[in-house]
Amino acid sequence: MADSKEQEVVELIANALEIDAKSLTLESTSNDVEEWDSLGHLGILADLDKFYDGKISGIREMAQVDSIEKMLQLLKDNSLL
Amino acid sequence: MNVTIKSIEYYLPSKTEDGNTLKKENPDWRLEDIEEKTGVNIRYISAPEQTATDMAALAAEKIFSSGVQKEEIEFLILITQSPDYALPTSACILQDRLGLDKSCMAFDVNLGCSGFIYGLAIGGSLIETGLAKKGFVICSETYTKYIDKSDRTCRPLFSDAASAALLSSSDHNDIGPFEMGTNGAGFNNLILPSSGTRVNDQQADEKKLFMDGSEVFMFAMDMVPKCVTALLDKSRKTIKDIDLFVFHQASKLVIDNIIRRLRLPKEKVFVNYHRIGNTVSASLPIALKDAANGKRLKKGDQVMLVGFGAGYSWGACLVQWSVNL
Repeated sequence: MADSKEQEVVELIANALEIDAKSLTLESTSNDVEEWDSLGHLGILADLDKFYDGKISGIREMAQVDSIEKMLQLLKDNSLL
Repeated sequence: MNVTIKSIEYYLPSKTEDGNTLKKENPDWRLEDIEEKTGVNIRYISAPEQTATDMAALAAEKIFSSGVQKEEIEFLILITQSPDYALPTSACILQDRLGLDKSCMAFDVNLGCSGFIYGLAIGGSLIETGLAKKGFVICSETYTKYIDKSDRTCRPLFSDAASAALLSSSDHNDIGPFEMGTNGAGFNNLILPSSGTRVNDQQADEKKLFMDGSEVFMFAMDMVPKCVTALLDKSRKTIKDIDLFVFHQASKLVIDNIIRRLRLPKEKVFVNYHRIGNTVSASLPIALKDAANGKRLKKGDQVMLVGFGAGYSWGACLVQWSVNL
């Protein structure tokens, strides 16, 4: 179950992918979500960087993260969540 | 010795490709999403028999048609990653094709989207040290020959093009300072595998461009703002002192996010990716020429040029615009 801050990030990801946030869960991966392709991932990175005021572009691992859970964990590891 | 850019010309192949072509050949592509992120509406494609050297000659000839004498050209720097041959050097072939004097230095520089900045630095240094008074920095690429028709990352972005910039000694210096850098740890994220002597057996027939879009995007987002800030600091200037920023025309997504990261006024950033595409090293000189033609640049303007890409390699410099087009 996502807390409110995590839910905010999930909604941001859904918005970047132009899909309904309800269709995403913590377990969702890029393999499960048709819109989460390489272009979709670029949109997520750009929107996250905007949301976190430029702090995402220094976290190179973000380029390869392929699930919501891993993305949230990486944000926590970098004290952004 | 001081250096200036005397003139810039460019050549685009006659064949173009738009979204309809992509959609027809790849019906499963979400073209709206692609065009929204790339911003590219049209791409230029070299003919099968047309090489970077062929296009470079056409761009350079335009400069001669404006009255520059061939014997004045003392160096020819060809920035290309799509040479006619692994050897000999394409610039040597081009020296003969253009009918330049045999005393002309000619060499290739194997750099991608940062190449024009490096060309200005090298050509400018040749003039500053008194080795030459006038020469060409030519950028020419045929990346589309490297791109698989079904490659959704690269095909919607890249165009083929050539540019020729004439550098000359001058009574005033218009180029510099520079800020350059390299991070070879990212070499694998934008690469033409099996294109040199390091061949992976499984990839032996796969001479196709590979780009990890997310990795390259993260590199650009991280490095370009740092590079711009470092150059502003070095030159003791602020964003307010720069009349126009010209970034490598990587894509709409990249440039929009650079603008956001640096909090640049949009009107200070020139873009032409939508009608030219990403032309690799030729992108900056083509944008400069288009900006001047479109009255976005006038004599005396302070321009910041920023190139970044394969390598990873990046570079930025200030140019005082003095070209009367």
